[in-house]
Amino acid sequence: MSLLRAAVELEVIEEQNPDAKGTEQAYEGRTPWRLAWGRLKKDRVAMVSLGFIVLLFLVAIFAPLLTALIGHGPNTQYTTSGLSLSGIPVAPGHNGFLLGTDDQGRDVLSRIIYGSRISLEVGVGATAVALVLGLVMGLVSGYYGGWIDSILARFMDILLSFPILLFAIAIVARFGPSLDLLIFVIAMFSWPYIGRLVRGQVIALREREFVEAARALGSSDLRIMFIEIAPNLIALAVIYATLLIPINIVTEATLSFLGLGVLPPTASWGNMIAEAQTGDLFTVAWWFLVFPCVALVLTTLAFNLLGDGLRDALDPRHGRSNITPTKRVKRSARSSGREKDNSEGKRA
Amino acid sequence: MISLIIRRLFYLVIVLVIITFLTYVVFFAGNPNDLAARFAGRDAGTAEIRDAAIRLGLNHGFWYQYWHYLDGLLHGNFGLDFQNAVPINSELARAIPVTASLVLGAVVLWLLIGIPIGIMSATHPRTLRDRGGTVFALTFLSMPPFVLGLMFLLVFYFYLTQAGITWFPAAGYVAPSQSIGQWADHLILPWLSLALVQAAVYTRLIRGSLLDVLGEDYIRTARAKGLSRRTVVFKHGVRAALTPVITQLGIDVGTLLAGAFVIERVFGLTGLGQLALNAIGNDDLPVVAAVVVLAAVFIVVMNTIVDILYAVLDPRVRLT
Repeated sequence: MSLLRAAVELEVIEEQNPDAKGTEQAYEGRTPWRLAWGRLKKDRVAMVSLGFIVLLFLVAIFAPLLTALIGHGPNTQYTTSGLSLSGIPVAPGHNGFLLGTDDQGRDVLSRIIYGSRISLEVGVGATAVALVLGLVMGLVSGYYGGWIDSILARFMDILLSFPILLFAIAIVARFGPSLDLLIFVIAMFSWPYIGRLVRGQVIALREREFVEAARALGSSDLRIMFIEIAPNLIALAVIYATLLIPINIVTEATLSFLGLGVLPPTASWGNMIAEAQTGDLFTVAWWFLVFPCVALVLTTLAFNLLGDGLRDALDPRHGRSNITPTKRVKRSARSSGREKDNSEGKRA
Repeated sequence: MISLIIRRLFYLVIVLVIITFLTYVVFFAGNPNDLAARFAGRDAGTAEIRDAAIRLGLNHGFWYQYWHYLDGLLHGNFGLDFQNAVPINSELARAIPVTASLVLGAVVLWLLIGIPIGIMSATHPRTLRDRGGTVFALTFLSMPPFVLGLMFLLVFYFYLTQAGITWFPAAGYVAPSQSIGQWADHLILPWLSLALVQAAVYTRLIRGSLLDVLGEDYIRTARAKGLSRRTVVFKHGVRAALTPVITQLGIDVGTLLAGAFVIERVFGLTGLGQLALNAIGNDDLPVVAAVVVLAAVFIVVMNTIVDILYAVLDPRVRLT
C-alpha cells in the first residue's frame, strides 16, 4: 500500500524535476525530508534567508575573531578617534569605523557583532526549551484527553493571552534583570504556542490506525506518545520553532530596550537602541540608532521568510481556494513551484 | 447560552483569584524586613524599618496580608506607593486615559488596515495584489513596534522638523478634553507604529482563514447557483472567516497592551507602561504590582467578553 503511494508520489516528483534520473536511483534517497529539501531549494527567498541565518550564526560564533580583525573591541570607548572634538560620533566609513561610532565613541559594528550573540543565544535557547516543553505538554494533553486535557489546554490559553512583558515586568521588578532569567521567562511564556499546535495534531493522530495497532500490540502509553506519535510532529515542530525564534529575538530586544533584559555595557541590539534613544544625539548621528534596528529587522525577517518557506516545503497543499474559476489545475501542478501557481492566478 | 455565560463568569472569577494571588506572591511574599526596608528608604535605621513593617501590616500572617490586599483591590484601592507614600489610585487615574487612548486608536486603525488587505489577498490569491499584501505583511511583521516607532520619530518628526515641515508634534500627550485635534495629532505616530505591526499579523490571518473558507464546498454551491462573486465573498465568505479572527483578537488584547507599554517609552507618553517602568527604577513594588494586576484583569475580562461574543456568533461553540 505504502509502496503504491510512494510510486504515485514519485511520478509527481519526476514531473516537477526533469533532472531526476532513473526511477531506481531517484526512489532510493527520496525520504519526505529529501522531498521537502528539494522544494525548499527551489524557493529562492527561503534559500537567501537560510544563507543569511547561517552567516549570522558564523558571525556570532567567531565574534571575538571578527572584532579582532576589525581592531575595535565592543566595549572600548575610542574617545579620540571615535568622537569628533565636539563629541559627535564618527560617521560610517570614517577613521576605520565601518558603521560609525555611538555617543560614547564605541564601534557600532563590533557592538552589533557581539549583540548577535545575545540575540541568538536567547532566541535559540528559549525556543529550544519552549519546544521541548511544548511537545511534552501538547502530547500529554492531546493523547490523554479528558480532565488532564481540559486543565492543560485552559492553562495554555491563559498563558497565551498574557503578554510576556507583563510577567517580565513583575519578575524583573522583584528579582532584578539577568540573562538567565530572561531566557527562563521567555521560554516559560512561549511554550504554549507550540503546545497548542502539537495538541491539535495529536488529537487527530491518536485516532489513526497505526496508534490503534500499537495499542493492540500492547505498547505502553509512553511508547505510543514518544515513539509512535512524536515522529509525526517533527515537521510541525521545525516550522513553528523557526517562526518562534524571531518572536523570541524580538522579545529579548524589547525587554532589553526597556531595561528589563540585558543591561549595558554588554551589547545587545535592544539596549543599543535604548542607549541611542536616550540622548538627542541620534538626530545628527542616525547610524548608531538605525544600524542595530536594521540588524534586528533583517534577522527577524530572515527567520520569518525561512519559516514561511519551510511551511510551503513541508506542507505543499497549503492554502487553496474554490473561488478562483480555474479549479481544473492538475494536482501535480498545484504542489509544484511558484511559476505555475502564478499563471493560475493570472487567469483568475 | 446562559449556562455558557455563567460558566465563563465563574471561570473568570477563578482566574482573577489566581492572578492576584500569583502577583501577591511574586511581589510581596518573602522576608518582611526586606520589603519594609524598601519602603523605609535607602538609609533607614532598624527602628524606622520596624515602623515601616507595622505601617505596611507586615507583622501579620501571610493569608491575613493577602486578604487585606484582595479586600483593597475589591474596593478599588491599590494602597500607597513606596516612593512618596501617596495613593496609587491617583497615579493610575492619570496614566489610564493615556494608555486607553493609545490602545483604542491603535485597534481601530489596525482593523481598518488589516481586514481589507487580508480580504484583498485572499480573493486574489497569487496575483500581484496578493504579493503586495504579502510584502506589506512580512515587512511589518518583522518590525518590532518600538523599532517602527523610533523610525517614525526619526523620519517624520526630527527630519521633517529639521527640514522646516512641522506636521507632527513632539512627543507628549494632550487630553482630549483640552483639544480633540491636538490629542489625535500627538497620538497619530504612536497609533501607526502600534497598528501597522498588528495589521500585518491580521492580513495573514484573514487571508489564511478566508482562503480556507473559500475552499469549502458550500462556497462553490453558492457560486454555482448564480450568486455574484461579491455576494459570495462578503456574505458567505467573510462572515465565516471572521470568527477565528475574533478568537485571535481576544488573544491579542494582551499583546496590544504590551505593545502600548513599549510605545509609551518611545514617544514619552506617561501611561501605565511608563508608570510601571519608572516604578521598577525606583524599586517601588506596589505601583508595579498595581499596573500588573490592572493589566491582567483587563486582559482576562476582555478574553471573557470575546469568548461570549464568539459563542453568540458561532452556534457550534455553545454545544461544547
